[in-house]
Parts: sequence; structure tokens; C-alpha cells
Amino acid sequence: MKALNEQELAALFEALAADWDVRVPIRLHDGTRALGRPGEGPLALAGGALPRKITSVFFPQMERVFTAGGGAIEAPAPGAKPLLVVGFTAQDLDCLEFIDRFFGEHFRDHPYFARRQGAATVGVSGRCGRDGAMLKIAAGKCDLELVCDGKRYIAAARSEAGAALAGRVAGGQEVAQAELDALQALSDALPRDDEQLIAAAAALLQQNKVPDEFWQSVADRCIACTSCNLCCPTCTCFEVFDRSAGAARTDRWRMWDSCQLDGFMREASGHNPMGAEWMRTRRRIHHKLAADPARWGQVTCFLCGRCDEVCPTGIGIKAVCREMLARYGGR
Amino acid sequence: MTRTLTTCPYCGTGCCFYLLADGDGRLVGVEPSSSHPVARGQLCVKGWNAHHFVNHPDRLTEPLVRRGGALRPASWDEALDRVVAALRRAQTAHGPDSVAFFSSAKTTNEENYLMMKLARAVFGTNNVDHCARLCHASTVLGLAATFGSGAMTNSISCMEQADCIFVIGSNTTEQHPLIGSRIVRNAVQRGAKLIVADNRRIRLARLADLHIRHRNGTDVALLNGMMHVIVAEDLADRQFVEARTEGYEALKAVVAKYPPQRAGEICGVSAEQIVAAARMFAAAGRAMIVYSMGITQHTHGVDNVKSCANLAMLTGNIGRAGTGVNPLRGQNNVQGACDMGALPNVYSGYQKVTDPAVREKFRKAWGAPDLPAEVGLTVTTAVDAAAEGKLKALYVMGENPMMSDPDQGHVRQALQKLDFLVVQDIFPTPTSELADVVLPAASYAEKDGTFTSTERRVQRVRKAIEPVGQSRPDWAILCEVAARAGFPMRYGSPGEIMDEIASVTPIYGGVSFERIDQVGLQWPCPDAGHPGTPVLHAGKFSRGRGLFSPAEYRPPAELPDAEYPFVLSTGRCYWHFHTGTMTRRSRLLDREERFPYVEINPADAKELAIRDRGWVLVATRRGEVKAMARVTDAAAKGVLFMPFHFEEAAANALTNNALDPEAKIPEYKVCAARIRSAP
Repeated sequence: MKALNEQELAALFEALAADWDVRVPIRLHDGTRALGRPGEGPLALAGGALPRKITSVFFPQMERVFTAGGGAIEAPAPGAKPLLVVGFTAQDLDCLEFIDRFFGEHFRDHPYFARRQGAATVGVSGRCGRDGAMLKIAAGKCDLELVCDGKRYIAAARSEAGAALAGRVAGGQEVAQAELDALQALSDALPRDDEQLIAAAAALLQQNKVPDEFWQSVADRCIACTSCNLCCPTCTCFEVFDRSAGAARTDRWRMWDSCQLDGFMREASGHNPMGAEWMRTRRRIHHKLAADPARWGQVTCFLCGRCDEVCPTGIGIKAVCREMLARYGGR
Repeated sequence: MTRTLTTCPYCGTGCCFYLLADGDGRLVGVEPSSSHPVARGQLCVKGWNAHHFVNHPDRLTEPLVRRGGALRPASWDEALDRVVAALRRAQTAHGPDSVAFFSSAKTTNEENYLMMKLARAVFGTNNVDHCARLCHASTVLGLAATFGSGAMTNSISCMEQADCIFVIGSNTTEQHPLIGSRIVRNAVQRGAKLIVADNRRIRLARLADLHIRHRNGTDVALLNGMMHVIVAEDLADRQFVEARTEGYEALKAVVAKYPPQRAGEICGVSAEQIVAAARMFAAAGRAMIVYSMGITQHTHGVDNVKSCANLAMLTGNIGRAGTGVNPLRGQNNVQGACDMGALPNVYSGYQKVTDPAVREKFRKAWGAPDLPAEVGLTVTTAVDAAAEGKLKALYVMGENPMMSDPDQGHVRQALQKLDFLVVQDIFPTPTSELADVVLPAASYAEKDGTFTSTERRVQRVRKAIEPVGQSRPDWAILCEVAARAGFPMRYGSPGEIMDEIASVTPIYGGVSFERIDQVGLQWPCPDAGHPGTPVLHAGKFSRGRGLFSPAEYRPPAELPDAEYPFVLSTGRCYWHFHTGTMTRRSRLLDREERFPYVEINPADAKELAIRDRGWVLVATRRGEVKAMARVTDAAAKGVLFMPFHFEEAAANALTNNALDPEAKIPEYKVCAARIRSAP
């Protein structure tokens, strides 16, 4: 097993770009971290989850689904090389595992799997969170995991494909399994407060112990920016629209949608069964913590933290669950 | 995929984000900037959808000229030659002031600067104005008179530091969402007091410590009533008043006439509410006033603004973080368009056209012939002049007066009476339909430049994709027009235009593209070493001492009567922006609010047998439109509210073209109306 510094990793990613469409966390013009191609900006592995949901690489904000014209329907050409995506946190990998199920288990979403099929995933964990905080080690669910020891990243293969990727490492320092085990022990010792929080909140909702007034009080603070949905890796809703260039050609597109919008559920008559703000606010959280466990057998908030970061008024899922438990979680 | 850092084209908050473009040069998304001091990785719904209209198939992609009564495609050469010939023809026959120029708060600073330069240096007229006339003209005058500078005194970050926030006439969470959200957080999490004075039960009102639902147009009485209590109960900051202001005795004399009982009667609220508001505001260590169109769009808009300034000075809430008088500017670059002198009375940096030394300075800098000395026509008075046949030709860049100006019938008649109308825009509009020449402009995503946000922050706009079709950036079109008119304006890039702006505009003296590459600068920024100014009037007002400018209550121009028993107020909704040209072409925004609507109180609706989502006819003395009823307790009894985004039911077919005597701003917030179910 090898440990690499950022320079060596950058060289590895550049080398892998010969066979893969490589996406890595980079620093953009004003310091914002985002996924980019190697060389498009300085590598920015450290800092925790990327602000934009990393799954957007497979399910982007807006994409052309097909073009109709001249009596034919044509899907966009697949990429020339498979994607290799670096930067998944352990929570992101949980999310990815779920949306793989969502897009593949009961139907097969072609645009999603056109990108996802054959893609390699690389996790980033260890001592590279915000201000050097420990990030949970996934120890699986990806092909390769880069586990930071504070200075270097240990390249731990998590699949056969990952082993092949690790085999491409040039340079770096050999490290013993014990070093990785020590980091794993640190990861195992991370507090589980948030997981307990979500589990307790899910139980409250499943037992129907949260009254409508609570949701109204949260909805009063919601400015309907839709960021919570757009940033959530397990939000998979999209809207479809067409754009025509004359009679000859029509492009069908899809784009991220949001259940916080009135138009999301409004019927053609104008009636909306989710027509009150509090219902939509409730839905956002109820869906992940109560509806999905019934439908999929699992709570689908994996605590990536994005909605709490991005909510302008401080009502991300963790904040709301804390408030919910404080008010209704008493024994 | 490419990512380009730029500034949002919607409200004046000034959030920066990245535009995402695909390999075919089409915009496919938006990514917030994590490091931007205002956005902080967040956006509102319009920001998240700010890419969507840009590649809409309705974009104007080629110049159009009117031939045989219809607009038909033409070459750029033909279109531009027609424009210059028509403007010159009008001037030769009727003098330089027979032509007017409408600049645009949607376009960049560089473009606004060039528009006013084109009007003044090339065509010799001060008839240049833009839609600030319709939103914050009252602010520019009212705060200049009291403080010496007509801009937001503080910064957006101050919203988090105030101990009391008094929001009057601003639906902040809908119209400036990332400012409104700071108010929500400060009130809910930090416990700041929140006073909302608004007839409508807006979102902030639900969270407020005190919600005052005063009658539309009675703000002066309310503010005077509050100041009466502050003076009577000795709650004023006497030290501040003594050291920093003048005219206190005059204020005292006027507010003495507004004891809370009388003020309450005028406003239709209890005296106790006024007393409570006064005490709450005066008791706070740091109290701030936030206002917007509810204050400015009145025939007494300037009086309203001055009264807000009076209250801030009386309580010493100016010149410190977390305080101030904070008018929120509605458009991405309405602050900048004013700063650039796209106004009939000032050059860039509010340098007066009536000052011979200023004129000489610009004449020299521009290498221009004599510059006009008379203050020009405003957006509103130019339309009146066109209707009277005095104005012959009009150049409209990025504005849509048919939808945005009061009394649409009057505007249509005025524009039809013109000998020549040229409209430069990104989409066809009801205004461009009346044009003789239509010039296709590049959108904000297809050009470089700067916007100045409501907190006076000058920020970069960057080209993310190539202009669609044959469209061109507004600045490039203006340079072409100037060249064809015999006054070449040569710039290699918008950065060079900003260098010229900095050289003639003291408040922008230290601004350059290089300095604002990552984070913008807040003016005044007089030189290259100056860090910018987050809080104005610290230690000293721009005019020296702050001037108390008391105002007496004057009722709106048109009040309800037996025939038209409702008050009609107009404004914007959250999902759409202004005349809807961009948001109604953005999928999710359009889906959210598809129909023109009018808010009506449940009790009124019941009385008139109006059902929620039923069609109604709303009429005033100017016209009648058909809209969908929205029955909601957000509307006060007796008051209707309509957004002005919808072409098919233009709220401005109803509004009253009554103007503030100084600011010439129309009274969009009050006119008399009636409503009935549509047959």
C-alpha cells in the first residue's frame, strides 16, 4: 500500500486521464471547491464534502435526454472514456449506493447509467476534513479510498478495479496496514451523535408524533430557495421540458426539480394536494425519514451535511431534527 | 463543462455564482460561490435558475427593422445606420432634446456609462434615465438631502449584527431573499427584535415581534408618530443629535403634531402599536431600518425616505455596524446604473450636470464638444413628452416601459406617437413590438463587465458562453452607434471602460477589474489603495451634518371611493422578476406562477362571491384586466395586490401615473380599484 502527497496524487490523476474521464476536487477562481478535470485548477482534496452534490456527475442539474428530428430519436453520445470520480466522502458513498438502487432497481434510468456504468469511484477520508477534522473512513462502497493521515493520502483499494488503479501509482511511500488500521480506529471512534439524531427523529416521524403546527413553524422560516433539494445527493426528482429549434429538431431536457415548489405537485385543475407550505416542508424530511424506510427499507438521509450548510435560514435536516427532538422527543 | 464566476442578474443583493456550460456552449446549471461574502455558498430560487432563460429559443438573434408595417430581419449595418440616421434627423428638425435614451439597470456599469456618454457627448442631451426612476428615485433624492449620499448606508452583513430591525415596505424574503434570510436568522436564532410595518402579512410579519398593518401610503404619519413618542418620552440619542445633525427643532415641531392617537387614526392602527414600535426601536443598541418599494413608490416617496432618515438620526442609528437606513435596490445593477450617471441630472458619481466645472471636466475627458447644461427628462416625463408630441425619438436599452411604466394605455399612445423607437434587448417584449428597429443584445452570461449591488459592491460579470445568434454585448452596440454618429468610442474591452470610469468618478476612483477579480469593492473607493467602505457616514455625514428633513403627511393621489372601493397595490412576487421576460422563460419559475393573479382578503372575497383561483376582473380609471383571484389573509381587508410580471394582464394597465413632485416616481403602491368575478 502506498501513501502519496498531493503532488504525487495530481500526477497520478493526470496519468489516469489517458484512460479515464477523470474528475477531481479542484479549487475554482475564488476558492470554491468543485469537481473538475485534472489541471483545471489546483487540487483541493481536503475540506470535507464538496459543496455541490458529487453525484451530480452522474445526474447533472440539467441534461439533454434525447433529440427528436427527421423521424429519428437520438440519445446523446456516451463519453469516450468512463468516468473516474474522486472526492466521495463516506456519506456520499452511502448516498450513491442508494441512488444506484433508485435509478436501477425498478426501472433503468438510461441517462444516469450512461455515465454511471463502468465509472470508478474514489473516496476521500481521514484527517482531511475542515480544519483537519477526521472524516469517516468508508472502507468500502468505492473502488479506491484515499485515506489522509494528516499529510499524505494512503491509497487503499476497495475493489478489483481499485486495485488496478492503485497499481498505477508511481512514487509515493510504502505504508504498513497498521497505519491504515490506526486511522480506521480513529474513524470508528468518531461520535455518532448525528446518526442517533436522525434515527431518533425518524422514529418520532414514523410514530406520527410530530404535529402539523411544528411544520408550520418551520415553514414560516422557509424562503423556498430549493437549495435543500438541489444539494441533496438522494434527491432524484427531475422536471422534463422540450426546446425546439424550428420544426426540424426538438431537444428533450431534464433538470433537477424540488418538492418545495408548489408546481411540483399541482394538478392540472390547479388543486394541489401539497398546496400548503407546511405540507411541503414536512414532506422534505418525512420522505427521507419515514416514507423511504417503508419504501426502500432504509432512512435516506446519510448526513452528508449539505442542506444544513446551504439553507439560508438554518432549517436544514439536522437543525430541524434537533428542534423536533427538543420539542417532541421527551420520554 | 466550463465554470465561470459571475454575478446574479436578478435582484440587487449581488450573489456571485458559477455558470456551468456544456461542450456545445449552452448553459446547463449554476453553482453557488462558497467564498463569496454575500452568497456564502447559498442562493435563492431565482439564482439557482439564473442559467435557464439564456438559451431559450425566443432569444432575439438578429437585428430587425420595420418594413411594410412588420419587423423583418436586417443586417447589423442596415439596422445601425437606420438608428443613427433617425436620431440625427429628429435632432436636426427638433433640437437635441427631442431625443431620449433609456438606459438599463439590468446591463453593466460599463454599458450604463457608455449610454450616458452617448446621450451627452454624441447626441448632446441630458435626456437619459433608467428604471431607478420607477423604484428608488425617492431614495437617491431623500437620502442625498438628509445624509449627502443616496445609497444604502450599511452592508448586508450588518443584518446579522442589528439588535432591532425595522422593515418597512420591503418583502425582504421574497425580493432580496439572501438579505431576508439574514433577518430571519438574526430574529429567530439571535433574538433580535423585528418590527414589520407592512399592510400585507408577508413572511417576515409571521416572525415579527410587532406587525403594523398601516394603511397604504400612511408611512409618514406612522414614522412621525413613532418620532413623537421618542421625543416625548426622551428616548432620542441627544448626544448624536447635538453632535452630528442639524434641523432638530424643525423636526420636533412637525412630529409634535403627530401624537400616537392621531397618527394611529391616519394609519388605521392602534396608538399602542405605534408607542410599542417607537420604544422597541429606540431601546435597541443597534437598530436598523430596511425599506424598499413600499416606501419609495408614492407621490410622497421622498417624504417617506426623509422620514426614515429622520428616525435613524433621532436615535443615533447611523454610521455604525448593525444600524443605518438601508434601501434595498431591486435590480442587479440599479445601484450601478445610478452611479454611472444614467440619470438626467448627474454624470457618473453623482456629479451634477448643472455644475460648469463638472461639465468641463467631462468635456475634456471625452474630447467632446460642449455638453448640455439643462437637466433632462426622466423615464416618466419623457413618456409624457412623447405623448405630447415633444419627444420625437427614443432609444430604449434593456427596458420594457410598456410593462413597467404606469398607465399602459398612456405609454402605448406615447410610444406610438414617436417618429422613431429603437429597442435593444435580449427577448422580444411588448415594447419591442412597437419599435422601428430592434437590436439583439447579448445576455449577462455572454459578456464581461461589472454590476454594483445594493451594498455598493462593484462586482465582476463574466462571459460564460458566446453571444447567441448575431447578438452583441450592449457596450459593443453602443460603441458602434457612437462611431456611426461620428464620435468614435474605442475600447478593447469593458475593463478599459472601467478604467475611464475610475478616472472621472471619484467614488469609483480605486476600482479596476484587477482589484475586483475575486471579491468586489464597496464604494466610495477613491483610490487604488483604498479598501472600500462597508459603512457610510461613520463619524461624519457625506454632507457634513445630517439634516433633519421633517415631512407632513400627505394622502396618496387617488384613494378609494364608492365607484372604486379598493386600494390596489402592485409589486413583484418571489418567482418572477419585473416584466417577466427572463423568469417566464425559466422552466421552474414559470411553472410556479403561470397566471396573472390578484391577492384579496378572504372577507372581501366572500362578500363579492370570489373563489380562490377563480377569474376576476380588476378595474381602475385607467383600464381593466383579467386575473386569477388569490384569496389570502396576506392581503388586508380593502386592499388588492397584483404583481406586474404578466403581459396578458398587465398590472400597469391599471396603475396611476401620478408622480412624486421631486423624484418623478409614480405611485405604484396606491390607486383606487374595483374587482368582480369574471363573467
